[in-house]
Amino acid sequence: MFKHAVSELKEAILCLRAGQVTLGYPFEPHSPEPGFRGLLILDPDKCIGCGACANACPARLISVEDQDGHRTLDFVLARCTYCARCRDVCPQQALAMSEQFETATSSPEDLRITIKLRLVRCRECGAVVGTQRQLNRVLNELPSQLGLPPEKMDWLDLCLSCKRTRALREGVLTVEVRA
Amino acid sequence: MSNRLLDWCFKKSIWVYHVNTGSCNGCDIEILDVLTPYYDVERFGIKLVHTPRHADALLVTGPVTRQARERVLRLYRAVPDPKLVIGVGSCSTGGGIWHDSYATCGGLGNVLPVDIYVPGCPPRPEAILYGVAQALGLVPKQVEARSFVEE
Repeated sequence: MFKHAVSELKEAILCLRAGQVTLGYPFEPHSPEPGFRGLLILDPDKCIGCGACANACPARLISVEDQDGHRTLDFVLARCTYCARCRDVCPQQALAMSEQFETATSSPEDLRITIKLRLVRCRECGAVVGTQRQLNRVLNELPSQLGLPPEKMDWLDLCLSCKRTRALREGVLTVEVRA
Repeated sequence: MSNRLLDWCFKKSIWVYHVNTGSCNGCDIEILDVLTPYYDVERFGIKLVHTPRHADALLVTGPVTRQARERVLRLYRAVPDPKLVIGVGSCSTGGGIWHDSYATCGGLGNVLPVDIYVPGCPPRPEAILYGVAQALGLVPKQVEARSFVEE
């Protein structure tokens, strides 16, 4: 009888020592570990609309559509698997994973990002060449990388087939590539 | 009057019935996490029950496979009114990576009227807690659609 009481007392003391394990979460914030991948954020100033993210996305949630002088990138984040492949392939570092996880919503439409960028069409045939920002990036980087004079970049707003036709007609543009 | 009383009672303690409709078990493990003493949802009166007839809320994970569809509908009918339907995970929110598969219904929204979606793959246990609290109207919604147009 006495032995039993002692063992129960021991257990009670053990329980006191254990302290509290429960998180105070809803009443106090509990931020995620570093490296946590939360809701995707898009920096609209950096995005050039190349669509690399759409290629990489396993859930195929990014659609790229060219219409009426605009390229529309539509992110349907309701089915995002938070793998961050889009962030990894983005050449502009325009995508980032935030730490936001409190994303509950009554309508999946709230988890949507749309960005519309101006489109450049071929000046000869009217086919889509790319977005204005894509061409700007090429204009900024290609001349210095290939040692091209900037005035030779006037083929930039031609589509692929018009470039070929022109190259055949006018003689191929020779470029000395620096290793 | 009786409706108001019901609504008042409904917010006090939610008993949930957990339904897996073809999920990969990631979300299910997070739901189990929520029930552990570490997150301890029982302090809010939230409790897992073993029959839909005792439940106030259906906690559904998975994209709802074709095989599961009939069962989910039967479960929904078995839950007494008023009831909540909570879709947990990216699969039930938008179909996940199976959104266009012939074998799934592409998300819970295509099968049942859903009160709240908790996206995440899997959602953190905190996110599930937040979602349930949001369904009860205790916390505000934090996300909204964004769109940008280049001029």
